[in-house]
Amino acid sequence: MSGNDMAHHVANYRKIFVYLLIGTVLTVTAYYLEFNVQNSIAGAVFVGLTIAAIKGYLVAANFMHLNSEKKIIHWILLLTIFILGLLLFIPLLWDLNLMSHY
Amino acid sequence: MSDSHHEESFWRKYIFSIDHKTIGIQYGITALLFLFFGFSLMMVMRWQLAFPDQAVPIFGGLIKWLADLNGFASDGNLPSDLYNVFGAMHGTIMIFLGVVPLVVGAFGNYIVPLQIGAPDMAFPKLNMASYWVYFIGGVIMLVSFFLPGGAANSGWTSYPPLSNIATTGQTYWLIGMVFLITSSLLGSINIIVTIIQLRVPGLTWMRLPFFVWSQFVTSFLLVLAFPPLEAAGILQLMDRVFDTSFFLPSGLVVGGEVLDVSGGGSPLLWQHLFWFLAHPEVYVLILPGMGVIAEIIANNTRKPIWGYKSLVYSVVFLGFMSFLVWAHHMFMTGMGQGMSIFFQTTTMIISVPSVIILSCFMLSLWGGSIRFNTPMLFALGWIPMFGIGGLTGLPLGLSTPDIHLHDTYYVIGHFHYIVAPGTIFAIFAGIYYWFPKMTGKRLDEMLGKIHFFFSFIFMNGIFWPMLIQGLAGVSRRLADGGESYAHAQETLHLNEFMSYSAWLLAVAQIPFIINIIRTLLRKKDAVPDPNPWRATTIEWTDTSSPPMGHGNFEKVPTVYRGPYEYSVPGDSADFTPQTKK
Amino acid sequence: MEIPYNVQVREDTGVYNSKLGIWLFLASEVMLFGGLFSAYILLRTGAPVWPPIGEHGSIAHLLTETIPHATFNTVILILSSVTMVMAWVSLKMKDLSKFRLYLGTTIVCALIFLVVKYFEYSHKIHEGFVPSHDTYMALYFTLTGLHGLHIIGGIIVLAYFFGPGIKMWGTEPERFTNRIEIIGLYWHFVDLVWIFLFPILYLLN
Repeated sequence: MSGNDMAHHVANYRKIFVYLLIGTVLTVTAYYLEFNVQNSIAGAVFVGLTIAAIKGYLVAANFMHLNSEKKIIHWILLLTIFILGLLLFIPLLWDLNLMSHY
Repeated sequence: MSDSHHEESFWRKYIFSIDHKTIGIQYGITALLFLFFGFSLMMVMRWQLAFPDQAVPIFGGLIKWLADLNGFASDGNLPSDLYNVFGAMHGTIMIFLGVVPLVVGAFGNYIVPLQIGAPDMAFPKLNMASYWVYFIGGVIMLVSFFLPGGAANSGWTSYPPLSNIATTGQTYWLIGMVFLITSSLLGSINIIVTIIQLRVPGLTWMRLPFFVWSQFVTSFLLVLAFPPLEAAGILQLMDRVFDTSFFLPSGLVVGGEVLDVSGGGSPLLWQHLFWFLAHPEVYVLILPGMGVIAEIIANNTRKPIWGYKSLVYSVVFLGFMSFLVWAHHMFMTGMGQGMSIFFQTTTMIISVPSVIILSCFMLSLWGGSIRFNTPMLFALGWIPMFGIGGLTGLPLGLSTPDIHLHDTYYVIGHFHYIVAPGTIFAIFAGIYYWFPKMTGKRLDEMLGKIHFFFSFIFMNGIFWPMLIQGLAGVSRRLADGGESYAHAQETLHLNEFMSYSAWLLAVAQIPFIINIIRTLLRKKDAVPDPNPWRATTIEWTDTSSPPMGHGNFEKVPTVYRGPYEYSVPGDSADFTPQTKK
Repeated sequence: MEIPYNVQVREDTGVYNSKLGIWLFLASEVMLFGGLFSAYILLRTGAPVWPPIGEHGSIAHLLTETIPHATFNTVILILSSVTMVMAWVSLKMKDLSKFRLYLGTTIVCALIFLVVKYFEYSHKIHEGFVPSHDTYMALYFTLTGLHGLHIIGGIIVLAYFFGPGIKMWGTEPERFTNRIEIIGLYWHFVDLVWIFLFPILYLLN
């Protein structure tokens, strides 16, 4: 890779580092602001996880070069995330009943 | 490419080899020994079931010695505590130390690189590491038999709270599982990268032998499904060693006293994490076997396998669906109706690709020039046996009949039909089929046919009555075989019949063992036939004297056609190798 | 005997072998931590109050006190991710001394992370908040403990490449650069896990 290419990459890494720091500050600030919606912690959870997801995406896309990675890697990850989703959310639906009188 | 390599030391060549063929054989021998050991545990259990509380003949002394060591009372009989140990370890050993290492570690390792024209697996050193980690896991499991309290005894499913408070053997089981899971993960990553990256020119995805497809899907199941069980294992280790309460609910009473733990845990959590792996795991147990059957049917009907595309799409769909059905093992845990509907539906859906695969195999026989050699006999026997196994799964996958059948002998009959005259027959078929590729010598046909015939009879003798007992309501995991239950009395007499079938099944393996030893000791022909079955897939096209040398192919093969071009019109021979222009 | 596509990429997939291998490994790690996260979700949604109240009360107060430490650790780990990728860039630019500087910084950051963790752990344990105290503590120690083990594993590999492993740069520089890319991917993943662990364990209470 040429020096110019690399310089471009390096500038990007610096930028992402700053974004990540900002994200961290936001996460902690959000905690102290207490996004409690109707006495439930759901609001705080939503904000906290969203910021974490954005930070995670920045790391994955830029430091791990996922943005420029090949299709096969994308497909493997998509499959993994889908399977993970099953594991995380289906047990929560355990008591789901479709008929209201049960 | 023949390597004019340095002379390798004995250790480098046979013990710490990085050659996939040597590693495959290491896995094979180790796994077969574990299969034999797991089978032996069952033979002792069947004595207890047929003749409750009577001293075990011949091995009574050994049983008493082990029972004493574990702290159980015995006068040569199998006490119920030890029965539970044997039951839990029979399942664990057969699945994790026997079948999977055989079908993936042995067959996968040995055959996949050869069938895609590769010089070895993508990561040879990682391959070697995978075997030794498996070996250590196996040693840990074996060592646990000698602990006070014996080895794990809470079923291979290790449900808490029972497994949480079980004896030390359970901790060893958990640690052993961590090693076995690690070995599996490393091995399956290796297989996936090998198949994706090392296919030779011309070997497109839809020209792959079905065996390779089955290994590919199996490896994905292992990579994605095993880690949640590893997580669960870590959590249970924390519970047992650091007194956490991941799986212990608040206020649990044991032996009349409330347990002094923090509580707040969930036994259901274990079940979710366990079955999230264990359901895909059962597909790991059968898919490679299906791959073997496909190879052998195509080869011995002298025509292409029927419905190659359907087979490939089915096996991929099956692998995907296998992640969506796990809670059909949990219908009795109080799940809501919505969940029950969801999992029954997905379970019914997943039976469809299985039926397609079975149908393709059956249709492949139509109009074929069938050669009834030993591998083919096992493949033909596999078909109806897997059929019975699959069909008996249907009432279990529907929650209403499952109320009656859950945790009965019906379940044991169902899954044994799939693994025993299912996968194990596929394993036997594969051994007879690929033996000449590994050694340059064919196993004796007469002994092979005797092996097949009697194995087929006695397998059915063991497992068919289980379906009957299960329908009568006899529960599984009862050391007295149901004796103390009124509803079991009518079917108790079947216990003796099943036990004799099990012992005779063991006797039926003697021709197999003799066959292997005699063939190995026999001298190789001066010029061994590199393709005695007249097969089309790449592993048979190499003309070098079997087994192949380090690096496999003298010249990198090029592939010009599909994997099953038998009886091509206009061709002089009744088979056309993949590498022929 | 050469394994094809060890260093050069295969045309139709566009990757070299170990790149595919590490991503598959990371997929399995996603499922491993995912299993633990699912435990967290299940146990938390089933708990009447969170963090649960045990023998020594609730960890909530102590936890709030350690937010600055955890925030510091988050920043340190993000920094180590940057230096890790810069180490790889240095190799691409054929600058070995810069590589050693960045790799060394990564290792130092990781060690600092562990030291802060040590103090966090001992403080909690000293106050009686051990894993057996309640399910939150159990999850806290297990999740951060497993993560910590991954950090230690990473340090060992990074140290190897800093030390004896660097010899490969002299003989097979492209292969060595690939290896650094691979361990870099692992390291970023470890950082990624912490990015989720931090809010979940410290902030969402």
